[in-house]
Amino acid sequence: MDDIDAMFSDMLQEMDLLTQSLGPEESEPLPKPPSISVTREMNFSNGFADMNESLNDLEDNDLDALMANLVADISATEEMFVSERETSTGPAPFAPPPVQSESHFCLPPSTDAHRPATTSNSISAPPPPPLPTAKPSKEELEEQMKADKIKLALEKLKEAKVKKLVVKVEITDGGSKTLMVDERQTVREVTDNLFEKTHCDCNIDWCVCETNPDLQTERGFEDHENLVEPLSTWQRDSENKVLFQEKKDKYEVFKNPQVFYLWKKDKTSLKDMKEKDKEQLLEENFCGPSIIVPDLEGVLYLKEDGKKSWKQRYFLLRASGLYYSPKGKTKASRDLVCLVQFDNVNVYYCKEYKNKYKAPTDHCFILKHPQIQKESQYIKYLCCDDEWSMTLWVTGIRIAKYGKQLYDNYKAAVRKAAGSATWVNRTFQDSPSISNASTPSPTPKAKAANGHAPQQPMENKGSGNQTSFPPNPPLMEILPPPPPDPAFLPPPPPALPTTTKGNKFTPPPMDDLPPPPSEDLELPPDFLPPPPPSFVSCGGGALPPPPPDPLSSLPPPPPALQNSASMGGGPPPPPPPPLPPAAANHLAGSIRKVAPPPPKRTTQQPSASSGGDLMSELMSAMHKKRSHQ
Amino acid sequence: MAAWDLTITVEELGPEAPPLKISVTSDLHIGGVILKVVEKTQLKKDWSDHALWWEQKQQWLLKPSWTLDKCGIHADARLCLTPQHKPLRLGLPNGTTILLRACFSSPVFRTVMGICKLLNIRHPEELSLLWPVEAKKKKKDKGVEEEVYDITCAPLPSATMLKLSSGMPAFFAESPESEAVYKTLSVSQPAPAPETIAKMYRSTTIVEKAQVNGRWLDSSRSLLKQGIKENDKVLLRFKYFTFHDITPQIDVVRLTQLYEQARWAILLEEIECTEEEMMVFAALQYHIGKVSLTEQFVASCPAMDDLDSALQCLEVKMDRESSADDMLQTMTAPELHDYLKIFRPKRLTLKGYKQFWFTFKDTTLSYYKSKEESCKEPIQQMNLKGCEVAPDVSVAGQKFCIRLLIPGPEGMNEVYLRCEQEQQYSQWMAACRLASKGKTLVDSSFSSEVQSIQSFLAMQKTTPSNKTAQTDDSINTHSLVSPRYQKKYKPKQLSPRILEAYQNVAQLSLTDAIQRFLQIWQALPDFGLSYIVVRFKGCRKDEVLGIANNRLIRIDLGVGDVVKTWRYNTMRQWNVNWDIKQVAIEFDGNINIAFSCVTADCKIVHEYIGGYIFMSTRSRDQSDTLNEELFHKLTGGHEAL
Repeated sequence: MDDIDAMFSDMLQEMDLLTQSLGPEESEPLPKPPSISVTREMNFSNGFADMNESLNDLEDNDLDALMANLVADISATEEMFVSERETSTGPAPFAPPPVQSESHFCLPPSTDAHRPATTSNSISAPPPPPLPTAKPSKEELEEQMKADKIKLALEKLKEAKVKKLVVKVEITDGGSKTLMVDERQTVREVTDNLFEKTHCDCNIDWCVCETNPDLQTERGFEDHENLVEPLSTWQRDSENKVLFQEKKDKYEVFKNPQVFYLWKKDKTSLKDMKEKDKEQLLEENFCGPSIIVPDLEGVLYLKEDGKKSWKQRYFLLRASGLYYSPKGKTKASRDLVCLVQFDNVNVYYCKEYKNKYKAPTDHCFILKHPQIQKESQYIKYLCCDDEWSMTLWVTGIRIAKYGKQLYDNYKAAVRKAAGSATWVNRTFQDSPSISNASTPSPTPKAKAANGHAPQQPMENKGSGNQTSFPPNPPLMEILPPPPPDPAFLPPPPPALPTTTKGNKFTPPPMDDLPPPPSEDLELPPDFLPPPPPSFVSCGGGALPPPPPDPLSSLPPPPPALQNSASMGGGPPPPPPPPLPPAAANHLAGSIRKVAPPPPKRTTQQPSASSGGDLMSELMSAMHKKRSHQ
Repeated sequence: MAAWDLTITVEELGPEAPPLKISVTSDLHIGGVILKVVEKTQLKKDWSDHALWWEQKQQWLLKPSWTLDKCGIHADARLCLTPQHKPLRLGLPNGTTILLRACFSSPVFRTVMGICKLLNIRHPEELSLLWPVEAKKKKKDKGVEEEVYDITCAPLPSATMLKLSSGMPAFFAESPESEAVYKTLSVSQPAPAPETIAKMYRSTTIVEKAQVNGRWLDSSRSLLKQGIKENDKVLLRFKYFTFHDITPQIDVVRLTQLYEQARWAILLEEIECTEEEMMVFAALQYHIGKVSLTEQFVASCPAMDDLDSALQCLEVKMDRESSADDMLQTMTAPELHDYLKIFRPKRLTLKGYKQFWFTFKDTTLSYYKSKEESCKEPIQQMNLKGCEVAPDVSVAGQKFCIRLLIPGPEGMNEVYLRCEQEQQYSQWMAACRLASKGKTLVDSSFSSEVQSIQSFLAMQKTTPSNKTAQTDDSINTHSLVSPRYQKKYKPKQLSPRILEAYQNVAQLSLTDAIQRFLQIWQALPDFGLSYIVVRFKGCRKDEVLGIANNRLIRIDLGVGDVVKTWRYNTMRQWNVNWDIKQVAIEFDGNINIAFSCVTADCKIVHEYIGGYIFMSTRSRDQSDTLNEELFHKLTGGHEAL
């Protein structure tokens, strides 16, 4: 018990220290978050282990990311302690519960920065669910609670194992951004983060790519892929880079399916194909029970295994792999020889292979296992006559490999692009006071704040720009609830709900809940997928119309929305109390059973960080405690 | 009006009985004629299904209110009073034959609707009837009479939907026999003996494939009119390859029969595939055969099962306070450890296999000099995630090796592991396979993986003598592939290749496996093409027309290449000149083609094109109402003349 207590207070102190020093002025690099020396493009973050390392070469952005990470670390561990404590001593009338929920909330705001006021208020609102737990006399409930807590702690433990990378992404304009990526994030999410950071036009062609200078290759990651996994197979001394650039061929097949699926027809007739016919082509090829791969065939050059020469072969693409017909045989399926199947390989564009490998042309692509980083006999080198046929083949192979997923990615990307477009429109057309509480930030700049709150306010101050919202330091628990400079031009968001209709407070939360309104926002689309799960799971938990507030204690992203509601409901007593404490408690518990996964996905900035040492310490502490009992 | 005698045969009086002669006038209507005949027979029975068949004109007289005059019947007509529903031997896609009562008087399209309703197959518009290939007499002679499942006792399908009892139409649930019949419909058949496959008729050339399509019955005419007699055999097959709205829960028979048709198309090489694809098909067939024995076709939605088990699991975990410990334990994976031999061919030395102490934890394989040193740093660690695993096994030679291709920055590292015996091999092999997919030993599929590896090893042991024995564990791999590969590979060469493909499908449920099979089938380049040999207007040689659900293709017979593709969405109209038997089609941009059909009637081509256009008009929301009229409008036309 003692060591836990000791550790816990240590932690608290540490956190206090950090937050205090951080809160007022972020410009100072004083706080020294768990510094991660970013040497090259990427590095493994080590959490608390290298607490004392210097911060010297970090950019501002890095600082933000790392800061968020640190906060997450602290809150996560804290939470774990709290839950530990709860289990061991029973429901203790102890400060932590509110803290716990706060720390829960202090993260989303940082990703959700354009609704700062709401989030700061949230601190007062959400606690209800945790608090009532203080006096549920029933033993069953306690049991349940304990179980929940344990489960939560274990979840956290698992989460602590989540691998994170600090990735430096080079952008076409020559600049670069550094961001923290955790292993559960898809490329889509990373792309969205980058959109927020780069002020680009967010069209669907933007693509996160990897390059390999050894092999002179480049490949655009697919939106559904995880970024961390491929990057962590890079060697330590790798010269590989991550680029963020527009690539026209990324979704070309969905914009002009005819050039891939009707490539045999003459090109002029394909140019002005009607939209309706294009749609029909997509429907036929991507919406059937099985995906149809473009029936590509033709002569390509293949580099002989281990030799320098390139040989012409007649290749055919099938859903099951890349085939060629051997000399003197027909093109009949039975005679085809399989060069490679796509399960374990990726396809990469290559540069300047005429020089490097004496290829007949510079339009080459290779197929290799993603882990292979150097020249190897296990790489299949192929060369096309022209760039166009190279695009055809590479795209065809991608379709064969990823199938319908690619189409889903495209649709998500289009939705996303449309969302951000409307957002931009809205911000220019609507005055914040007209638009509903959810679109308070009028300038495009504000959106860049997403994901790294601490830095943005500073920027604003410096520029003297009338930014939409009050600065939003991440550690609001320490600061007084009202935002530091509420005098700023449009802080309407907080005011809005309260002023509009006082009596309508219970409905608004519901209005804020469903995805549609959030779709208009720049940010929500990436939050959009997560919320439904949590709602659905609530429904499954036999509480179809859950009052928003008890719920809000769970998945981070909804809270942001709901908080605005509950905050609006601040003046009148918040909804949850009506529930008998037992019920509310039970409710929270039962939701928690199902809900934990969503937070994982939605927290953009990792909500808990690794720290092998810390975690093992915690584990051993837990064991010890148990044996003491 | 003058009365005259009308000659009518009544089947019920027996074949020997002389035809009845009844006295009629020309203004007597058909209903009256039937009434008179029935009175004259003095037989008491239910005559409601009977109707008059005019033999000379090959025509049913189905309108009771029409007068004889209007029908054009005179004294020389020979009529026959006969039931409209007669027994028909129906060859199903799975190769079994069912004897059932089908309607001989309505257009085949509606007859098929009735059959499908009886058999519980939705979307009957996708199926049709086909003349069987004439069996070669000499082979048939000694062949045993094929088994026929008799369900003629089934009630005639009425307009109302069939009631279901325990997942099958109520009628099938009535007796154990009929239940058994339903099982043959809804469960895939065991793998056939390789000899059976080899013996069956195969269409090898595209012309032979085209001939098959000449045997489709005309959808707009009745069975009797097309010369099908009572107890004749016809085949029921999926004709239009657009399968609308497949729902595994309610499409059990449909999905099973579709799978069977696809499987036979592949086994008999009616559709071509590559060797790699054949191995995947073989693996899926093996898997489907295996799980069919144990697993019921989806009674409930798999997602629900998952949820249930997840909830159960959760409950168990919440049960006691020590649950955290349990969970911690499950988080720490079990291990495999043993002495194995390793060989790395890349070293170019002839060292051969060397023995080490191996441990397998999570997805990582490590080895040490000896068991005692296993607490120290391993000599080497290999993470098998993403690696390729292949067996290198000879049961006869007692060689149990695992070939690993482990990806690294420099390329793939080739490593061979040698196990001493089967048991050990199957465990380590299973571990490697799971690890390659990123799964650990904790994964629930580990034990089933071990089992499937063992059953595949068992397959290698089967000697040619007991080839036909088809127990679960000893399926001859030859019965999973087409004759081409039967000839090309020995069973023991085939089994490792099938096993390789099998590892990717071994965890699929029955429904998923069948759907995967169908998916791969539908992704084959030649899928859904029905061939007809045609002669294009102005050409002197035969060419092949391929008809698919969205396009027509023109294939050069000599080379086998696709010369031209026309898509339906650019089609303006098509016409059939029934006199000169020519089909003319006009496409956007003033493209006109015309051809006469060589291997099939032009009605069949007409019906295919119209049929596919009909299929494309179906939408998801009105899936249960079938617009019969539209179908006939698009595919009929002949009768209008």
